[in-house]
Amino acid sequence: MLFSSIPFLYYFLPVVLILYFIAPKKLKNSVLLLTSLVFYGWGEPKYVVLMIASILIGYVSGLLIEAFSQKKLSKLFLWLSVGINIGFLAYFKYADFFIENFNTATGLSVPLLRIALPIGISFYTFQILSYTVDVYRKDVPAQKNLINLAAYVTMFPQLIAGPIVRYSHIAKELENRNINVENFAKGMRRFILGLGKKILIANTLGELCDIFKQSDDKSVLFYWLYAVAFMLHVYFDFSGYSDMAIGLGRIFGFNFWENFNYPFISKSATEFWRRWHMSLGTWFRDYVYIPMGGNRVSKPKWFFNIFVVWFLTGFWHGAAWTFIVWGLYFAIFLISEKLLYLKYLEKSKVLSRVYLLVVVGISFVIFNATDMKEAVSYIGGMFGVGGVPLVSTEFFYYLKSFGVTLCIGLIGCTPIVKKTVEKIKEKSIGGKIIAVIEPIFLIALLIVMTAYLVDGSFNPFLYFRF
Amino acid sequence: MKKKYIVTTIVTAVFLLGVSLFAWLKPADAFSLSERRRLEQFPEISFDSIISGSFMKDFEDYTLDQFPLRDEFRKIKAFVAMNFFGAKENNGIYVYDGYVSKTEYPLDEESVVKAGDKLEYVYNEYLKDTETKNYLAIIPDKNCFLADKGGVLSIDYEEMISLIRENTGFLEYIDITENLSIDDFYKTDTHWKQENIVDVAQVLCNGMGTSSTQQYTEKTLDKEFYGVYYGQSALPLESETIKYLTNEAIENCVVYDYQNGKETSVYDLEKGMGKDPYELFLSGPISLISIENKNAKTDKELIIFRDSFGSSIAPLLIDGYKKITLVDIRYIHPNFLGQYIEFNNQDVLFLYSTSVLNNSETIK
Repeated sequence: MLFSSIPFLYYFLPVVLILYFIAPKKLKNSVLLLTSLVFYGWGEPKYVVLMIASILIGYVSGLLIEAFSQKKLSKLFLWLSVGINIGFLAYFKYADFFIENFNTATGLSVPLLRIALPIGISFYTFQILSYTVDVYRKDVPAQKNLINLAAYVTMFPQLIAGPIVRYSHIAKELENRNINVENFAKGMRRFILGLGKKILIANTLGELCDIFKQSDDKSVLFYWLYAVAFMLHVYFDFSGYSDMAIGLGRIFGFNFWENFNYPFISKSATEFWRRWHMSLGTWFRDYVYIPMGGNRVSKPKWFFNIFVVWFLTGFWHGAAWTFIVWGLYFAIFLISEKLLYLKYLEKSKVLSRVYLLVVVGISFVIFNATDMKEAVSYIGGMFGVGGVPLVSTEFFYYLKSFGVTLCIGLIGCTPIVKKTVEKIKEKSIGGKIIAVIEPIFLIALLIVMTAYLVDGSFNPFLYFRF
Repeated sequence: MKKKYIVTTIVTAVFLLGVSLFAWLKPADAFSLSERRRLEQFPEISFDSIISGSFMKDFEDYTLDQFPLRDEFRKIKAFVAMNFFGAKENNGIYVYDGYVSKTEYPLDEESVVKAGDKLEYVYNEYLKDTETKNYLAIIPDKNCFLADKGGVLSIDYEEMISLIRENTGFLEYIDITENLSIDDFYKTDTHWKQENIVDVAQVLCNGMGTSSTQQYTEKTLDKEFYGVYYGQSALPLESETIKYLTNEAIENCVVYDYQNGKETSVYDLEKGMGKDPYELFLSGPISLISIENKNAKTDKELIIFRDSFGSSIAPLLIDGYKKITLVDIRYIHPNFLGQYIEFNNQDVLFLYSTSVLNNSETIK
């Protein structure tokens, strides 16, 4: 089920809210678990079983790892759990990719499995992995209550598109959390704003990207318009989803960690990845990069570690070479920055940001390409390769038609609005005005978004399949 | 606790729960007048439909179709998209000077060529070795007159007409484009107004070597007309009226609907009072229909291969013919025509709008 859908907003969510708030404290996790299974089963009824199997493996492994913590068996249970869960992910997400490449390399024709990807498998697999590793490291005690662990993994606000919530971050809240009016109000505000980012900006810019891809009237500036539109589209889509997840979590009394921190204001690729999809970046840092030795190794080994992490980061996003190249592309910039010019970038205010936006813009052209041939063709188009004209009729038309949305997107991806609101709030009268306007604004936004949903058609989230 | 949190909580919770309750309790509507389509009903629940996910998909369609105040919400969306976000079009629909149209862009050359191939197939199957006289006329859609002024993208109509003519060299082209302007079209509908195309009928008759009367009585259908774009645009637009032209000859015509095997009339007032009043003209989309002119002073016959535009102009051509047969090969495969029509020495007119040529997959 999608957050940005009528069934979720006006059928599922109200029922969940009623059940959750009337349920006694000890049953709240059960309510969350059951409703989350319905939420997941709505889109993938068959794969509920797979998710439950992953949870049971994680649960039993956690208990065994803890029970045998002084013995070598502990490590065996850890590897078993990691192996099985990675195995599920490899089979369901990557099997056809491996077969295709095997066929290409060998000239054989091994038939593809054509398995439908279980929604959210990349997210919940990583959550279960982090849980078992944390138990192994004794960072957290194993969860004895299966319902609590299952509620953590399946919790619908973050189940299918993150952020990747660590068990250690919410272990205490699974047992005891603050459910109050302030959390509800703040959570609802965050949810509605996230929904607005998704429906009003991401979806609209997604239309522009689709139009561009189908256009026969491409030009250099149209390629750049596409690159900007897709950058904003993917940011508002994913950060909007994260806002909704964080907001819903807050309504239920959970404090999920932030996932985005205005990444496009970064001065370097290094900084960008500290602000973009932070839950994924820190996951790879803590569970892959640092265990491999991080940067406290020889230079060649350090480069190798970076390449491995960014290969995996790209591959996590999808079973295609474009994603792998996208990850390795960032690895090259991260290493280059560290070795050569990061200090210069940090001193510059304008050039560094232009550099970052160009680097990221090109990266997302690769990210969104159907294959590397298209990626190379699009990047070439951005620089006029192949005699592409500078401008075209369609460029001007769509620039005008989507201009307001692009401007809102460009302003909205910076902290300008947030800082302005905070400044107004600092003044007594400003705070009062915002207190009055805020609920009206939220309802108006809900009405407009409902109108968009009623008028529109099915609209999947981008990060759904990762 | 801060009062503002209480207010935000109450306001948002009441809104969500209130709309939800409304949605749960509202009886399902069967039909959307503004969109002219049946609305999705609550889907059947079964083990198989749940496991396959079809129940969920159908339920989502149901919730969208049956959402309370659906048309009002669609109006809000259209208003916000076009007035706040500055979108040039909403769902492909745009408005200029009170006229609503759907963008037709880009020119699909492959589609136009395929349309030409399909007409050639008809020609080769039925007309090639006969004494029929074969003509082609193209009706430009509203965008031809509106798009540039409205600032939206549009196809190059001259290029399209050249392309179809190149691919239908076996047909004699009659140019009616010079006789049309935006005033000849309904504001909220895709079609032309019958009362404004008497001169177009004259040009066609002249082109086919016959004549047509210009003596008609103008009547007005007693029903407000909201064209097809009214519902699609979800914009607050005024209703229009449908006028139709008649005379003694038209009133005495015998109309036979082969598709439904029954006699009907040139102006089907029952259909005119229905969901799509434009179906007043020859009862709307029908694959094969004939008009016999009892008062004819000639034995000439005309066969029109047409789209929906043909329904309203055919009555204006009847003066020059004993019989007009209208064929819509979007609804009947040309292979079946031999069962109904003997092609020998008739006039044959291929009369198509540019929007059908640019989307020729609809032609069989």
